[in-house]
Amino acid sequence: MPSKAEDIMKGFKLNWMNLRDADSGRILWQSSDDLSSPDKDHEARVPKKILKCKTVSREINFSSKEQMDKFRLEQKVYFKGKILEEWYFEFGFVIPDSTNTWQSVIEAAPESQMMPANVLK
Amino acid sequence: MGLLDLLRKMKSGNDKELRILLLGLDNAGKTTILKSLASEDISHITPTQGFNIKSVQSPGFKLNVWDIGGQRRIRPYWKNYFENTDLLIYVIDSADQKRFEETSLELTELLEEDKLMGAPLLVFANKQDLLSAAPADEVAKGLGLDAIRDRKWQIQACSALTNEGVKEGLDWIAKTCKKK
Repeated sequence: MPSKAEDIMKGFKLNWMNLRDADSGRILWQSSDDLSSPDKDHEARVPKKILKCKTVSREINFSSKEQMDKFRLEQKVYFKGKILEEWYFEFGFVIPDSTNTWQSVIEAAPESQMMPANVLK
Repeated sequence: MGLLDLLRKMKSGNDKELRILLLGLDNAGKTTILKSLASEDISHITPTQGFNIKSVQSPGFKLNVWDIGGQRRIRPYWKNYFENTDLLIYVIDSADQKRFEETSLELTELLEEDKLMGAPLLVFANKQDLLSAAPADEVAKGLGLDAIRDRKWQIQACSALTNEGVKEGLDWIAKTCKKK
């Protein structure tokens, strides 16, 4: 049975998140704050050396008490108020009482297309 | 999606998305195989209570591997993940001879699914590092793989622990998916 939005919210928990150097599999940053609690800003400090990695993986682990039929994740990257990047990932079905991970490996753009780190101040 | 995106896609002409489904009984080693593929630490793997997805994106190509938990409670949900599957990987614990029949039954059911029709099948005869492991040809015989006529299939002996054989399996996937 499809669950109600508020039940889904109540039963949803982001357990942890990490960033790895995808070449070596080594973890560069991890956090177990529940970033899914809304109405609150969450801050993450990621080491600068991640910008040197050729491929980076991001892993997200979440639990859901309720079944979901069309779960999707959206990401919007803002820079100075404008959307710089936007994408989504379609999970589709989420099993009731499940814990799931999603890892996505991203290749760095060629250096010429990268935004220099010092712009981000 | 904007028109510009559509144009870009038509231009490159090979915007491919490959979806691989990784199934098998609990404790077969699905998650370990997935993690060892990425040279990640495999010493703290716990039974999967849902799914683990690995996505890799590079220009013009997307790969998503879906590893779904194999516990009895979870198996009825496998069918929710069949759609658009390009290739099925089925993992066997070659040392768990007591459950050969059970795993064979699950595989037979999968091969009868409409949504998986024609999808190539790679069977990993995992845990070859264990002395009690049955060799791949014996596992193939037990599963009746020879009787498969409606799809390409391959059995690959491997050990997710030592990484032996995993790469050979991937090579077969690459070869098979290219020809499609």
